[in-house]
Amino acid sequence: MSKLKFIAALWAAKLSKPLLKITGHNGTNFPGELALKICPDFLKYVCKPEKVIAVTGTNGKTTVCNLLCDILEMDGKKVLDNRFGSNIISGISTSLINGASIFNQPKYHAAVLEIDERSSKRIYPYVKPDMVVITNLFRDSIMRNAHPHYIAQFLTDSIPPETKLVLNADDLIASSVAPQNPRVYFGIRRMATDVTECVNLINDNRICPNCNTDLKYEYLRYHHIGKAYCPKCGFKAPEYDYEGRDVDLEKMTMTIADERGSYTYRLLSNGVFNIYNMVTAAATLRELGMTHEKIAEYMSRTHIVLTRYNLEHVGNVDLIMHMAKEKNALACSRACDYVSHQPGRKELFLMMNCLGDEKHWSENVCWLYDCDFEFLNDENITHLVATGPRARDYRLRLLLAGVPADRITCEEDEFAATELLHFEPGSQVYIFYGTDSLALAYKVRDKVKKLAEEAAK
Amino acid sequence: MKIEVLYPEICNLYGDLANAEYLARSCGAEVVKTSLAEEPRFIHEDIALVYMGGTTERGQSIVRDTFEPHMEGLVKRIADGGLILITGNAMEIFGKYIENEDGTLEKMLGLFPIHSDRHMMNRYNSLYLGKLEDMDIVGFKSQFGHSYGDNGDGLFTTVRGAGLNPGVIPEGIRQNNLMATYLIGPLVVLNPPFAKYLLRLMGVQEPHLAFEEEAMDVYTHRVQQFSEPERGFIY
Repeated sequence: MSKLKFIAALWAAKLSKPLLKITGHNGTNFPGELALKICPDFLKYVCKPEKVIAVTGTNGKTTVCNLLCDILEMDGKKVLDNRFGSNIISGISTSLINGASIFNQPKYHAAVLEIDERSSKRIYPYVKPDMVVITNLFRDSIMRNAHPHYIAQFLTDSIPPETKLVLNADDLIASSVAPQNPRVYFGIRRMATDVTECVNLINDNRICPNCNTDLKYEYLRYHHIGKAYCPKCGFKAPEYDYEGRDVDLEKMTMTIADERGSYTYRLLSNGVFNIYNMVTAAATLRELGMTHEKIAEYMSRTHIVLTRYNLEHVGNVDLIMHMAKEKNALACSRACDYVSHQPGRKELFLMMNCLGDEKHWSENVCWLYDCDFEFLNDENITHLVATGPRARDYRLRLLLAGVPADRITCEEDEFAATELLHFEPGSQVYIFYGTDSLALAYKVRDKVKKLAEEAAK
Repeated sequence: MKIEVLYPEICNLYGDLANAEYLARSCGAEVVKTSLAEEPRFIHEDIALVYMGGTTERGQSIVRDTFEPHMEGLVKRIADGGLILITGNAMEIFGKYIENEDGTLEKMLGLFPIHSDRHMMNRYNSLYLGKLEDMDIVGFKSQFGHSYGDNGDGLFTTVRGAGLNPGVIPEGIRQNNLMATYLIGPLVVLNPPFAKYLLRLMGVQEPHLAFEEEAMDVYTHRVQQFSEPERGFIY
């Protein structure tokens, strides 16, 4: 009976696709939703490619997935992905429907699937990945994810015991997942910018998991990311199987090494988060048997997706769209840190409001007080525009972060707020937006571009 | 004047530390942080406010074990009228026990005549609107369970949202000047009148808050928003 339901679900989902295309609704998760409605254990029966790699974690999973897919495709593999769908069960189902013929035969060699951490329990019982890559585990949405140790336990309870894990050794929370599973670790050796004491507001792994003593760090990058050890009981972070080292931000190079060799890679971005993404992808590809030479060559032909970071020169300024996810204090802290370290004078347009929440209830703003807005108290950041439904909250948070009041302007309407930008010649204008405000951010960017061009006349 | 933050290395889940920082900034107090390895200072020192924020489930057990030897000092402080603020699930540590979804019980410190349940697959998220005397209180709840038992009049009187549990009006617990609430995060920053109330209890005669105008602007807007009948409250 289940098998019959499955066939009906697969065919109905397949049939829905041309209908969705005709009605202009392609790209949605509807086929997956439909299939799951007809056959709740659809994922059990749908065929999977020979190799399935799942990528999960708080930040970087989209970028790592894109790198893996692009590189595997450059290497001649047919790769199924979910980059145009969601990373929850309906999106994964939609992708696997796309990857199956009407006779339920796989059309792809491999699948690289971005999987939402909270969706693990519904997906992994049926889609048993050969590898699960965990980029990192940080605080994320308070409502969904509670705290990173909760998510780590969630993954431990969900990931099949035979799945190999590719884990970030510099993240003691991520590297603690599913301790019985086979695993390899990646990490980045000491960088010039590393410290030994946490300067961030949050560090979710301050104490030793064995004896509760305050952990020390050989080097600490940000938050709880670094090489930790316990001064009391001898506990220490795992050793690297794949390591990034000799990161040179001037030459934009780093070495990635493992026991089989090392190679110099060209950096795709000078942001540490993206350097981690590169090492993560390289470690995964090495596990798949690809040579460093090939990975480095293919990687040099990729780029970070434009929805995450995009720079263009407009009028007399550089306009930079920078993803700084709402309700994700870590992603936003990283964005603040990054901007503060860029040379030159800067204006910031803060519009990472959770617009969906605003429609239905009201955004939980606790995360603003976990986020290191203190980085924005920098004399080179000459002007900050707080906008959107939470504009007032941003203004107060910036003031408490030490940003002088005369550098902050506040306007709830995002389009009216663009008129407040100064467009000082030679400066950079950053638009900070989140996933929820993505569509609006593009419209705002278009208006900002017009204003920047007018200001240059 | 000193504000003591207990166990900030693990009791700081949702921007909680902003509470102590904001009060300190508004009255010139010093924030002293007491780690798990240290004895709480309020036992022997003059501390204007003791603060503890929310933590992980493992953190609740660690705090219980660490704080247990100091319960006598806490009881004395409560009796003496010393000010204590406990937010988020830190309140549960001072109840009788926490019941897990598999029926197992974790004994807690037993100061409050309440017990809590914990459902790790069923997170409760809501906005909160309540009253303390004539003050409106706004905030957020995000928790794995609720508490049950006799919390008297509570700390806040719920107008919208859940009290100690969705079936009761009183929210949190008050014993003399010990105040405990499920509300999470920067509660004090989001509620300037409550911040001033605490400062008065700390001995500040005419409190003036840091960035009071901007904080009041945020607060007024939020009270108005949370009072809208059509505003969804449960996430």
